[in-house]
Amino acid sequence: MKASGSRQSPPRRGARSRRAGIDSRTRAWLRHHRAVGLDSARRLLRRPLSSLLTMLAIGIALVLPAGLWLALSGADDIGRRLQDSATLTVYLSPAVSESRSMTIADTLRRHPDVASARLITAAEGAAEFQQALGLEDALAELDDNPLPASVVISPVDTSPAAVRDLGDQLERVDGVDEVRVDLAWLERLRQLAAFGRRLTLALGGLFGLGALLVVGNTIRLAVESRRREIEVVTLIGATHAFVRRPFLYSGAWYGLGGGVVAWLLLALGGRWLAAPLHDLAQSYGAHFGMPALGWQGSAMLLASSTLVGWLGGWIAVHRHLADARPR
Amino acid sequence: MIAFEHVGKRYGGRYEALADINFRIARGEMLFLTGHSGAGKSSLLRLIMRLERPSRGRLLVAGHDIDRLHASQIPYYRRQIGVVFQDHQLLFDRDVFANVALPLAIQGVEPHESARRVRAALDKVGLLHRERALPIELSTGEQQRVGIARAVVNKPPLLLADEPTGNLDPQLSADIMRLFEEFNRIGTTVLVASHDLALIARLRHRVLRLREGRLVSDEQIGDGEGA
Repeated sequence: MKASGSRQSPPRRGARSRRAGIDSRTRAWLRHHRAVGLDSARRLLRRPLSSLLTMLAIGIALVLPAGLWLALSGADDIGRRLQDSATLTVYLSPAVSESRSMTIADTLRRHPDVASARLITAAEGAAEFQQALGLEDALAELDDNPLPASVVISPVDTSPAAVRDLGDQLERVDGVDEVRVDLAWLERLRQLAAFGRRLTLALGGLFGLGALLVVGNTIRLAVESRRREIEVVTLIGATHAFVRRPFLYSGAWYGLGGGVVAWLLLALGGRWLAAPLHDLAQSYGAHFGMPALGWQGSAMLLASSTLVGWLGGWIAVHRHLADARPR
Repeated sequence: MIAFEHVGKRYGGRYEALADINFRIARGEMLFLTGHSGAGKSSLLRLIMRLERPSRGRLLVAGHDIDRLHASQIPYYRRQIGVVFQDHQLLFDRDVFANVALPLAIQGVEPHESARRVRAALDKVGLLHRERALPIELSTGEQQRVGIARAVVNKPPLLLADEPTGNLDPQLSADIMRLFEEFNRIGTTVLVASHDLALIARLRHRVLRLREGRLVSDEQIGDGEGA
């Protein structure tokens, strides 16, 4: 606590002395918080290199879980978009004629759960197949087109259960041979995401603990270096809260600094990875960008890193104070 | 003000620092505590400051058994006691003004009011002109006076001093004692631990003498000579 700065403050006039009790105590409390908060920040700035190293250690510990969380929310986003584009392929019996296949396609189109239906005639199918696989010669040698006509359906409700249900219904339509619903990999993506979420949680816990230990150890050294001051203020009637306060603020500053480091690393890393990710997405014909933290995510990152720092400070001072009890 | 009732203090279960101490100090009294080093003077003061707890007996301060104080009440109890240490316990990373203002900062006194009281205390010990100095720039005697200013800045009803003149020459020691007498004159109860017998003899106050942890005498010096 530095009281020296306050003495230059101009004398205040008026109602100061008339107000008393809780009000003045609250103001004294706030004044002390402000003074201690600033003093702790100044102490950190006085040793910029070691403060920065501590913040880097915290930031690096936090960047992995935060990055995983980001990747996960990105994967969720992609999964949702892929699910939105979920389709069913209805294969008609090979015996169905082209005109009949159009009628069937119309029937399917009128189904209340079907958003849209696109008919691919046997001939179109063969052409697409040839183009895609470069099997022109092989197919040309066949007398008959072996491919059936098909209808590609976009469902109204894209949830896996509804899609599966719709598939069962469409399978019963006359002239339909088979309905393909490719949900397995969507399901797999979902399971992967669930696994990733747990992994993120576990890593977040572990690395958060790591950050806590970093702050705790740094604050422990700070407590050690201010041992005399703590002794003296305790002798003249400082409460534990008073003794603890500067270290809690130091811890919180370290945590906040670590959060900023983590934020910067994430932003830089995101920028660095954006180009290859874009290329990768394009090669799949998909379109997804690098997930970003956004305002809410950034606020949460900084808040939790500050909390971790505060907690680390608390643990370090608490241990010291517990050792110093009168016997 | 203070009552020791059969107070004993053992360390580590064997070494007996204080044994069966009985005495009372009235409000507004000034007295000395003497004895060789190791006689238990510091232990006795530490008990009053509630830095240690008696192993036996009761210690009442202002009518309260301070052994029963809850840990959260101890800081508020200590604010009622001004303490002057032999090694003055100043903080060397801040100037004289900030050192003296420390007890007021702890109590959340408003800066304006705090500055007024700090200057009053520094004026009392004759160091008003050195408020911006760092403790390291002061002489030993000046440092001790800063320590005294800090002990009295919040006007505690009880002032304890542990060998306050230990490192000072006779002239400075006499000055310091005169300061204590001044505080006593305005109603502060003052208890000074010192082994400077020559100085104590000149000052005509009540003297408690400790030897090997026991109170061996309790007498008023200079009675009848007229103060």
